[in-house]
Amino acid sequence: MAEMMYRDAVRETIREEMARDESVVVLGEDVVGGMGTAGGPEAIGGIWSTSTGLFEQFGASRVIDTPISESAIVGTAGGLALSGKRPVAELMFADFIGVSLDQLWNQIGKFRYMFGGKTRCPAVIRMAYGGGYNAAAQHSQCVHQILTGMPGLKVVMPSTPEDVRGLLRTAIRGDDPVMFLEHKALYGVSGEVPEGDYTIPFGHARQVTAGEDVTVVATGMMVGVAEAAAERMAEDGIGVDLLDLRTTSPMDEEAILDSVEVTGRLVIVDEAPPRCNLATDIAALVARKAFSSLRAPVEMVTAPHSPVPFALELEQAYLPSDDQVEAAVRKTLDYR
Amino acid sequence: MTDLRAFCMPKWGIEMTEGTLAEWMVGEGDAFKKGDLLCLIETDKITNEVEAEKDGVVERIVVKAGGDAEAVGSLLAVFGDGSADAEAIDSFVAGFKPTSALGSVRKKKPAAQKVADDQPVPPKDASGGEKKPVRIDTNRPISPEALKFAEAEGVDISGIEGSGREGRITLQDVQQAARPARAPQLRGPVDHPEENLEVFASPLARRIASQNGVDLGPVVGTGPRGRIRKADVLKLLEGQSTASDAPFVPVDNRPEIEAFDRVRKVVAKRLTAAKQDIPHFYLRTSVCADPVIALRRHANLVLGSKASLNDFVVMAAARALRRHPEVNVQLHGEEIHRFPHADVSVAVASPNGLMTPIVRQADRLGIGQIAKATRALIDKAEAGRLGYDDLDGGTFTVSNLGMFGIENFDAIINPPQAAILAVGAASRVPVEGEDGAIGFETRISLTLSVDHRAIDGAAGAKFLATFKTLFENPEELFA
Amino acid sequence: MQLSREQLLQAYRRMATIRAFEERLHDVIATGEVAGFTHLYCGQEAVAVGVCEHLDTEDKIVSTHRGHGHCLAKGCDVQGMMKEIWGSTEGLCKGKGGSMHIADVDKGMLGANGIVGAGAPIAVGAALSNKLDGEGRVAIAFSGDGACNQGTTFEAMNMAVVTNAPCIFVFENNHYSEHTGDDYAVGTANDIASRAEAFGMRVWRADGCDFFAVYETMRELLEYVRAGNGPAAVEFDTERFYGHFEGDPQNYRGDGELDRIRKERDCLQIFRQRVSEAGLLETDALDELDKAAHADVEAAVEAARAAPRPTAEDVLTDVYVTY
Repeated sequence: MAEMMYRDAVRETIREEMARDESVVVLGEDVVGGMGTAGGPEAIGGIWSTSTGLFEQFGASRVIDTPISESAIVGTAGGLALSGKRPVAELMFADFIGVSLDQLWNQIGKFRYMFGGKTRCPAVIRMAYGGGYNAAAQHSQCVHQILTGMPGLKVVMPSTPEDVRGLLRTAIRGDDPVMFLEHKALYGVSGEVPEGDYTIPFGHARQVTAGEDVTVVATGMMVGVAEAAAERMAEDGIGVDLLDLRTTSPMDEEAILDSVEVTGRLVIVDEAPPRCNLATDIAALVARKAFSSLRAPVEMVTAPHSPVPFALELEQAYLPSDDQVEAAVRKTLDYR
Repeated sequence: MTDLRAFCMPKWGIEMTEGTLAEWMVGEGDAFKKGDLLCLIETDKITNEVEAEKDGVVERIVVKAGGDAEAVGSLLAVFGDGSADAEAIDSFVAGFKPTSALGSVRKKKPAAQKVADDQPVPPKDASGGEKKPVRIDTNRPISPEALKFAEAEGVDISGIEGSGREGRITLQDVQQAARPARAPQLRGPVDHPEENLEVFASPLARRIASQNGVDLGPVVGTGPRGRIRKADVLKLLEGQSTASDAPFVPVDNRPEIEAFDRVRKVVAKRLTAAKQDIPHFYLRTSVCADPVIALRRHANLVLGSKASLNDFVVMAAARALRRHPEVNVQLHGEEIHRFPHADVSVAVASPNGLMTPIVRQADRLGIGQIAKATRALIDKAEAGRLGYDDLDGGTFTVSNLGMFGIENFDAIINPPQAAILAVGAASRVPVEGEDGAIGFETRISLTLSVDHRAIDGAAGAKFLATFKTLFENPEELFA
Repeated sequence: MQLSREQLLQAYRRMATIRAFEERLHDVIATGEVAGFTHLYCGQEAVAVGVCEHLDTEDKIVSTHRGHGHCLAKGCDVQGMMKEIWGSTEGLCKGKGGSMHIADVDKGMLGANGIVGAGAPIAVGAALSNKLDGEGRVAIAFSGDGACNQGTTFEAMNMAVVTNAPCIFVFENNHYSEHTGDDYAVGTANDIASRAEAFGMRVWRADGCDFFAVYETMRELLEYVRAGNGPAAVEFDTERFYGHFEGDPQNYRGDGELDRIRKERDCLQIFRQRVSEAGLLETDALDELDKAAHADVEAAVEAARAAPRPTAEDVLTDVYVTY
């Protein structure tokens, strides 16, 4: 086991995959950084440092620095994928799916289906999402709640460096388009990473803490938030079965239902606003398939129905907190 | 005008404030004769049969079986001679008020009621139930059904935080507020097996595998994407060898969960309160049982009774209580109620749980009467037919676990009583005789649990000494 | 003129097939037998064929909603296409795509596209893939005077220039973006090529109704792009004989406009005229090709009518490779 930072896990995994398979190509705005400047290529190396050094190692034909053209970045990735390459494209901020949505939604997500299964589109679109950086309404959002509902796309939300490596390998080696959502507040987080060329299959939740009193489901940064609450409540004898979904499409329905059948109580933590998000989706799932197991109403801990605010205090109030998770868990336990 | 009669929730014993109609044995329109079984009513202590006091016809059943508890005096049904029309019955029901006699025995005065004449009165509330309909004027957003519920049940909505949009109060919110708080039973955190990235298995499958020492490596999953699911592991476990030389494999040992039934709830509540509230102290001694054993054989032969050892314990205790009225007490708030005679409760295990029926005025009964009364109570307890009168009151309890070979134990006091005697098994023990030789005698160990608020240590000790003298010299019992 | 007799016959045969295919669909759609939206390529055949006659399967094309002509020119199977338009499981896309999404990736046809302007970025990707493979292959984005106004097209042109992608932007100006004229909607005074020029590309302009003009322009252009000079663009002036979609009443057309363009601007007639004047092909041979094209199309319609239909179980297949 080695310690590795989340961002380094992203970069090193891409580097390994590029070395392993010549068809892997990286593209995106500033993935080289400094092109056309006095500083020259690699003056920046990607604003998240998730592509530093790749240009030097693999050259301009495989590390393609693009203009700020999100539609063209995603569309180009689609064209590369249809032509047999394995593009790993970066949208600097997930919020920019807004300008590239047609290419994500109508193009790469649908090629295989529209073409009757006669093609594959192994494109990985990486994007930094989430709050916590005071980046305000257009640079702090979650997008999984939008992308998860799009048939044809897979959506991955790793919460640890270990999962980044296992899931990104699966994404790059897989034959379907994958939205790889990296939480920007996790980039600097370190964690143990196993040695070896392991992969983590999609649709396979991770059990973070085990307990038989309440099921808590979370993704991305919310996993850590929920874990803090779970650890605190363990001291009071409250057993939290905390599931990190890892991928929201496909989603590990079985793990959720198995757990709720034991606990009878469910709290879903979602960094997205509360309408039509992952939490409502899971609540509906459990209402349909585990109704008789429920002993209390399903609780959701989500961001409010507002854009992500800028000011420190406002953003803190906006983001779901461990206190909110604890309160929600206790509320389900207090249900009478 | 036909002769309509109200059939109300009866009151059995001083503590009964409400009862639940468990089952009707008669239906609307049925004629019944005096002594016919009308219904079963449950209280927090017992289920009792209610017989007809005179002949009649069921004109209207007001309270259906299986509902909530009804206050004593609530209108349950309307009886008549079968000639009443619906309108007459309706007006009888609407005009029904609990009688003053019933009202007077209530501990609490029924809340003052002001109901407009033209408003039909739900019988439950008219009977003086604690929930009365209120009109709620509020600007707060609330769902129509929630408002209706709150008004009907008299739920104060001011403290409710609405869970709906913009704080709108939902029916669920009001129902929550109306129910008593409940402490959840926690099972707590459990260890979960480290995820093996080589093995693709659901968390539940991993947990079961880990609990059972199953290696998931070779398992072929049947779940989505070939994942190993619970069923795959269980299938594997079924096929595992049970030969004695096989390594021990723990099996699934999760509990089957049974919610408290009514009796269990009451027992749990009472015992918890007793253990927490009563400052218990414990006095231990042992008594020689040989004289009683000898006498019992003789007495049973002569009296034709079948007195058990325990009957002699009850008898000795009752006689000792009469001599020590400071122990023959109940504690009510800050009052000590001292009784002239000993109503001895006998702890009996029944199918419905622990029951403590009472041998009334046991100090005035002979051994044969005590044996007979106790036997009758045990039979009733086993049949689940103990009545309110069998259970209500008591000034002292004898709890005997000797038949299970228990040597000694400490019992929890059964309030409002202030003492309980825990009786262990009789065992043969070597003793030094007066001449220094070793002999054997039969001894029973006793623990008296005493409520220190009502009974001083010395008083308890004196009582126990008297008991010991009587028990070891049983001829005195017949003096 | 460098075309052999065989090449000329093949080019005409392809144009005639497109024409027959679209005319037949026009009739059939009016009866309600074919579902969905269909956009016919009639009138523009010389562009698709004049471009694609230069390509092999490793050169990619990305098409538009008006894509039948590009598909047929790139070698897609007539029956497979017709069955797709009929929604059969034997269609090129198993009935999942329909008229607007016909694709045959093995033939280098990366799909018609229901979103106007969406194809250009995809073509850039295909071009970069070809560039990476280093064998001089290109990718072609077909766009019209509608798509030329989409931001994606601009992004793609800039991206192609920046990345030096062997990508060719073929603008077919048929003068109507849906129901709006290019006089109104194309802000650069009807001139689409100048936009590509502004992005730094070398551009060509030619008459899209003259197969020979298209063919010759593309020969020159492809030579330039295959040599590694980066992207290029071309604007072909062409005509749309039918409406935006089938059922379009075309109230926006001028008096006698359709008759005039059919008479003066029919690329098949122009082809016949040119080869006759030059004594390259006899009318009889061309008539034979017309007949053969009609027979092919008729056989395709019969086959499509008889082809197996999908079932409800097929809805969930091919969403993912694995899920």
